[in-house]
Amino acid sequence: MSGPLISIDRLSRHYEVGGELVRALDGVSFDIVKGEWVAIVGQSGSGKSTLMNLLGCLDTATSGTYRLNGADVETLSDDKLADLRNKEIGFVFQTFQLLPRATALANVELPLVYRGLPRRQRREMAESALRSVGLSNRMHHRPNELSGGQRQRVAIARALVGEPSILLADEPTGNLDSQTGEEIVRLFGELNTRGHTIILVTHEAKLAARCPRAIKLMDGRILGDGPGAEVAALQAARAVGT
Amino acid sequence: MRGGGPPTRLGRARLGLTRLVSETGEGLRIALSSLVSNTLRSFLTTMGIVIGVMTVIAIVAIIDGLNQSFATQVGGLGANTLYVSKWKWISSGNDWWEMRNRKDMGRAEFEAVSREASLATAVAPFVSLDATLTSDQAELTRVRVRGTNEDYQIANGVAVAAGRFLSAPDVELSRSVLVLGPNLADKLFPGVPAEEVVGRRLRVLGRPLTVIGVQARRGRLMGLDLDSEATLPWTTFLRDMGAKRTISLAVSAEPDKVKALEDQLVSILRRVRRVPPGKPDDFSVNRQEQMRRLYEQLTGALYGVAVGVGLITLLVGGIGIMNIMLVSVTERTREIGLRRALGARRRTILLQFLVESSLVSLLGGAVGTALGFGVASLLALTTPLAAAVTPGAVALGLGFSAVVGLLFGSWPAWRAANLDPVEALRYE
Repeated sequence: MSGPLISIDRLSRHYEVGGELVRALDGVSFDIVKGEWVAIVGQSGSGKSTLMNLLGCLDTATSGTYRLNGADVETLSDDKLADLRNKEIGFVFQTFQLLPRATALANVELPLVYRGLPRRQRREMAESALRSVGLSNRMHHRPNELSGGQRQRVAIARALVGEPSILLADEPTGNLDSQTGEEIVRLFGELNTRGHTIILVTHEAKLAARCPRAIKLMDGRILGDGPGAEVAALQAARAVGT
Repeated sequence: MRGGGPPTRLGRARLGLTRLVSETGEGLRIALSSLVSNTLRSFLTTMGIVIGVMTVIAIVAIIDGLNQSFATQVGGLGANTLYVSKWKWISSGNDWWEMRNRKDMGRAEFEAVSREASLATAVAPFVSLDATLTSDQAELTRVRVRGTNEDYQIANGVAVAAGRFLSAPDVELSRSVLVLGPNLADKLFPGVPAEEVVGRRLRVLGRPLTVIGVQARRGRLMGLDLDSEATLPWTTFLRDMGAKRTISLAVSAEPDKVKALEDQLVSILRRVRRVPPGKPDDFSVNRQEQMRRLYEQLTGALYGVAVGVGLITLLVGGIGIMNIMLVSVTERTREIGLRRALGARRRTILLQFLVESSLVSLLGGAVGTALGFGVASLLALTTPLAAAVTPGAVALGLGFSAVVGLLFGSWPAWRAANLDPVEALRYE
């Protein structure tokens, strides 16, 4: 594939809250190529959630362009956006967002249901996704029968199962203890070495520092974009400097 | 798709179909699991629909049952027969005194009609009273005893199961014979087969008569038991049970000549009864059709009320469903957001909730249909009302409930489908 997987140019998202214009995201530009592992880091209110929603095709920008895998996201209809999410994005949420009454297998199958795949194929793909996150012996358990780390693994399997272009993880370790969080981060590293493109949205500088690349947001603008450790350090220096 | 060539139109159509199938399947799965996990709530929600459908089905079943039995009963009256009487069958209360004061009909009218009504294929006089019948085995009080002639069989379509009906000589000679309805034969001669009842003797108002025939079963007509009648020659009746009674005439014609016959009868009777020109008839020509019309008016009104009640109950049930679906949408806001994030289109979410609401409603409809049949059958068993369960009524009950589910589920489903995925995912 030629060209970047994600290409963002002067992307802005403005809201009107109580008659006041909020520039949640204000002219952000960057590219991400296939196989990268990028952290989007920032404090709450920095615009990282807004950016994540835009990258995840859940929301559309006020101005600017977003090209994902060659598609001009801003011009797409609601249905096309849904299809794009289904095909190109694998979401991992802080609160796992698993269906409580469904087994791990059924949860992982869900994106394939919306792709219209036949049951047998869904089953096979979901099983292999669960195996790839190390849950081959937990396929028929319901979320309440699983530990937090296992739940997040199910969610990651669900994100992987459709073979998306991007794994988009929103504070994936936020609801986990540090040891389990560490396991999940290692799993992401492993997935990245297997060729998956990963975007990890977090407020933890420590986590961002471990990513090969980090984009630091503040007040809706990019504060820094570079190797994770550097961006984290830079941010610290600035914080001290001001 | 990805990595392959551009999908063909056929390929896309097939993909769209499998997608619709898997989405509907998922919708059903979700609906069932939500039904199961909210058993009490689902039960209460469907009660409105259950009661509505039950009411409609029960009433419709009873009306259909009445219609069926009425059709067969009225068929027995003879569609091409005119019934001439002092009394009008169907009248408003004001006519009663006028009719009561009319001159009785008697032999003169019968003889004039027999002689002059050229269009008539049968002329049967009849006269009746309630009397006590006594056999050596039993005594029956208040039995309808009718005097008539051999033509009554043609005019009224009476069939005989054993023996024979009245003959012309029976009438001419005023023989002491009678034909029994099957119920009378059973009660007066319990355990005796119809063939052997023929030839037995019994007493009517103390006078001895010989049974010459037993009628075939006819059923009931508007509450009248047609199988509990005793028929004897009218000449015998008038001789033994009082000559002063008013008689009626049953006069038949070919199907296309009934109207002409009516005109003929009116002119004959006006002359015989000396009705001055310009005065109204002092007799009535009745037809089976009039009874049918009255009947249809009655059941038509009942039908209207039933449908009205049913619709109102279904409306209430539908509002219940809408309410619970709105709750369900709110409860599952995050789930909806998740599904949208994973690639569900608006249409998919819409479908999911429509499947759920119509399933709930359809279940209610099915239970209501079953209960409605139960009620109708119970009524049919314990009361003289007939009840017939027709496939049309089942289809109506189920169809209506499904439509109610779709209709009242559509607004909640629309709301669910139009949730903003970002907001929905964040919903606490």
